[in-house]
Amino acid sequence: MSKPNNPFLKEDGTKCTCMDMLQQMLDSEVTNEQRDYFKQHLDNCMPCYKTYDLEMTIKELLKSKCCGGDVPPDLIIELQAQINQKIST
Amino acid sequence: MVEEKPHQKYTEKEKKEIFNSEFMPHIRSMYNFGFRLTFDRDDAKDLVQDTYLKSYRFIESFQKGTNAKAWLFRILKNSFINDYRKKSKEPSKVDYQEVETYYNSDEVDRQITPDLRVESLKDMIGDEISNALNSLDVDFRTVIILSDLEEFKYEEMAKILDIPIGTVRSRLHRARNLLKEKLSEYAKSMGYNKSNV
Ligand SMILES: [Zn+2]
Repeated sequence: MSKPNNPFLKEDGTKCTCMDMLQQMLDSEVTNEQRDYFKQHLDNCMPCYKTYDLEMTIKELLKSKCCGGDVPPDLIIELQAQINQKIST
Repeated sequence: MVEEKPHQKYTEKEKKEIFNSEFMPHIRSMYNFGFRLTFDRDDAKDLVQDTYLKSYRFIESFQKGTNAKAWLFRILKNSFINDYRKKSKEPSKVDYQEVETYYNSDEVDRQITPDLRVESLKDMIGDEISNALNSLDVDFRTVIILSDLEEFKYEEMAKILDIPIGTVRSRLHRARNLLKEKLSEYAKSMGYNKSNV
């Protein structure tokens, strides 16, 4: 298999560092091509592999632990009432 | 945005439709954002209520079918800064000069928390992650919420926060590092260190 072209080139034509690629991946600011390239890069770069694994674990933890919290039911009821009142007047 | 002139005309029926089908579905995310900014259920409720009433009042500056979630988040963030923060007089502790310098320094390439392991994170099944997030200064907390919890893109975040994309990126980078530092403190206090991993 031939080595794919690096899709992580900066505007000035220079290559992105591992840190740059990692951050773009974590922030979900990548194209499909960049994602594939990075996944392959992980096989050859232990620091990236370890950091990516750690960061993704944190991301998943954040999503599962910090999104909860039920909306107070009276908030929705009050809002609907306030909006309906605006419409009728 | 809230200050903007209306761009479209909606009938009362259309307004109600937009409100219910495009704004209300985001109430859970909005409430969570409000709560993570204020740490108080009543304040979060007030903030969300205020935001939704504003969104209705200025609904004609919202174009139907566009990014309602980002628009609502922006109103909430502005209400928080202009109304809530003023009332509570919470000082902003972040030194942006320091943030930008940090990002441009070599320090970024250094592994900051080499002792934080995936295994120790897996044991954080309580409130550790939530507490770590809450311990961050509000501006760092906000970018983590917007990116990791709500999956906004750089461009959307730049609009919500009124800052350039480059600043979004550097602030997010710094926020992730601060979060890792906090988590590694927890990991240490839970008994993880180099000797027993
Ligand atoms: Zn690498």
